[in-house]
Amino acid sequence: MGCSSSLPDRSSGRLVGTNSENGGAPDAKNIRVKLVLLGDSGVGKSCIVLRFVRGQFDPTSKVTVGASFLSQTIALQDSTTVKFEIWDTAGQERYAALAPLYYRGAAVAVVVYDITSPDSFAKAQYWVKELQKHGSPDIIMALVGNKADLHEKREVSVQDGIECAEKNGMFFIETSAKTADNINQLFEEIAKRLPRPTTS
Amino acid sequence: MSSDSTTSSTSTDDPANGNPDPNPNHSIEDQLASTSLTDHGDQRTPSNQENRNGVDYASASEGSAGSDQREIENSVEQVPAEVAEEEVRRSSDAAGGLTEVEEELNKGGSGRRSVVWMRTNSEVEVDGPSSPSSSGYAGERGSSASSGGASGIDEVVEDEIQEARNDSVDAVLDSQASWVPGKRHVDEDDASISWRKRKKHFFILSHSGKPIYSRYGDEHKLAGFSATLQAIISFVENGGDRVKLVRAGKHQVVFLVKGPIYLVCISCTEEPFESLRGQLELIYGQMILILTKSVNRCFEKNPKFDMTPLLGGTDVVFSSLIHSFSWNPATFLHAYTCLPLAYAIRQAAGAVLQDVADSGVLFAILMCKHKVVSLVGAQKASLHPDDMLLLANFVMSSESFRTSESFSPICLPRYNPMAFLYAYVHYFDVDTYLMLLTTSSDAFYHLKDCRIRIEMVLLKSNVLSEIQRSLVDGGMRVEDLPIDLLPRSGTFPHLGQHRLPTDSPETFRELPVGVGGPAGLWHFIYRSIFLDQYVSSEFSAPISSPKQQKRLYRAYQKLYASMHDRGIGPHKTQFRRDENYVLLCWVTQDFELYAAFDPLADKALAIKTCNRVCQWVKDVENEIFLLGASPFSW
Repeated sequence: MGCSSSLPDRSSGRLVGTNSENGGAPDAKNIRVKLVLLGDSGVGKSCIVLRFVRGQFDPTSKVTVGASFLSQTIALQDSTTVKFEIWDTAGQERYAALAPLYYRGAAVAVVVYDITSPDSFAKAQYWVKELQKHGSPDIIMALVGNKADLHEKREVSVQDGIECAEKNGMFFIETSAKTADNINQLFEEIAKRLPRPTTS
Repeated sequence: MSSDSTTSSTSTDDPANGNPDPNPNHSIEDQLASTSLTDHGDQRTPSNQENRNGVDYASASEGSAGSDQREIENSVEQVPAEVAEEEVRRSSDAAGGLTEVEEELNKGGSGRRSVVWMRTNSEVEVDGPSSPSSSGYAGERGSSASSGGASGIDEVVEDEIQEARNDSVDAVLDSQASWVPGKRHVDEDDASISWRKRKKHFFILSHSGKPIYSRYGDEHKLAGFSATLQAIISFVENGGDRVKLVRAGKHQVVFLVKGPIYLVCISCTEEPFESLRGQLELIYGQMILILTKSVNRCFEKNPKFDMTPLLGGTDVVFSSLIHSFSWNPATFLHAYTCLPLAYAIRQAAGAVLQDVADSGVLFAILMCKHKVVSLVGAQKASLHPDDMLLLANFVMSSESFRTSESFSPICLPRYNPMAFLYAYVHYFDVDTYLMLLTTSSDAFYHLKDCRIRIEMVLLKSNVLSEIQRSLVDGGMRVEDLPIDLLPRSGTFPHLGQHRLPTDSPETFRELPVGVGGPAGLWHFIYRSIFLDQYVSSEFSAPISSPKQQKRLYRAYQKLYASMHDRGIGPHKTQFRRDENYVLLCWVTQDFELYAAFDPLADKALAIKTCNRVCQWVKDVENEIFLLGASPFSW
């Protein structure tokens, strides 16, 4: 199905056209993983994803509706490839009740807050609890403090972030979708932590 | 005029003549001629007649043939009032024309008195039945009506002119070209002069008076104002009644109560009450589309529930809907429109959508901007045109749908206001998007596969490139209206075929290019009742600016409201002339035709032209309408 790569202005981030859920057999070298981003509205979830998938940053805020689906494949040094199927969820309150729809079955959850907004940090902690209660038991969770470029407006300290992450068995990173700082590192770090399917 | 055709007329109003064929097999000449005959012969009082003339002569000095000006012949009682109102507003839009208009109106003094009276009358008529005596409203209004004597009139007219002057300034800002999505003037509140001067406000509030949405200004700062609106509504409700409309000078305040949600429009745009109420209904529908009606439960639990967070980030959806009230005729026609496409192309798109619908998709809709390319529904599922309008508005105004494929809960208020459906949305290009609706919340990957299949077929059968071509070519142009009425025997006419040769013998060329079609035809809208679809001609030279287009739509909207007025309608035909247009409306059980002509257009010729338009629409219906298995309810 090579046709999706011939689409106008949709091809940049799509490496593979096939996306059916039961696509390939489990393969130690080619991992597919469902990842969900959660967090308050306006913390930059979509910006992180678009920076990672398309290498773009759009400063005009576009409110996500429901959830957007994007995918991106990265190659690790041990020559495995990881295909992230990313659910970028809307941060608006009205979608909170629908979040399980998107995080159900996710192997990875990235909980994002804005380092300039304590409210968004509180919301992040809400999402962590929610995932612990209702997410997959072996879900990998990352806590991400975004907008790290705005350090002069910082209101959530690095220490607070680290503490929260450690308490909940998450790994922690501060990113800036605007400057691309730590974005790839975030996903590489996640990829390293994925359980490798045992070849049988 | 055209009385020759009257003799042979078999009345089209005959209900036995009920064939669903959209083809106008009866002539509008007959209808109009007979209406004009009965009009002259009916029991109109002499004073009424005199008033009409008074009004008409005011506009006659605009420079058209005086005798023709009496042709505001139809059975709508308040037409003279409306015409006069329009005169004031319209002619003062033109820079420099202001003083002239004032003079003319002063000349027609006696006519004007009746104008004011008639406005007051219609006011009583509108909310009379619902609020007979309670709550002091009728009394208040009555007193203002009776005080509308000679002294008050000049004030009213001057006010309107004042308003009109503001209009033209605002209209420039509001025009489609300069429209920016999203909420404007957030810094304003009800104390700001600029806020008070806005021509059209929309508010959503809760039954406890908490603001939910305001078109202008920050909702939170408008808490006091919201509480006032709530107080008005509950005051009348306490009297066992409901408030629908309050007129205050040139302003209309329209109320709509939907359970715990109150909607209010405050407008001085002179749109008919029915139109404004219809707009409130759409705004409510848009809210339901985002939240479902189950939001009412939040108010049952807590009457003071604050709903604004639930609508976070949706300002742009509402502002885009409100903007569409002035450019999208679907908002008052309650019909949808299709992108013109060759029959085979639309068939190809429909076939692949049908495949998908058979695999458990409730609705599959392919659209280009606000026009439908094709759509298919699962068996027995029907989609209301208003739902389509709201859905398309929601998708087009939310930028995030353009970035990547999305899966989002939405509710179709006319389909099931209580439940969410799930919408898979994907843009194929900047303008063309696919919406697959399902009841199943975990159908994403299936819908994604469907989209890939659909996309392959659309690419292979050139549908996407044909869509782009159609966007460039446009639809029906009045300049291309065929003169020959007998093409049905031989080759089938195509939409674009009249356009190519500049001096084709098939088309009228007496008029220089760029001043509209034959007989001064400027524009038309044809609505097929059977199909729930309409087609609107492209705008041609005399109506080229967004401001003029908005004005024409407002005129159509008024015409629509007067034709569908439950109190005095429904009507079959209407011919009305003012200094801006000749407007002709013809309603049968199969279709509605709205046409705008040059104000100097000849009546008989205009009527003939309308028949040609209907024939033309019939001839190209394969390309402009989605025919066949339509999932719409009718």
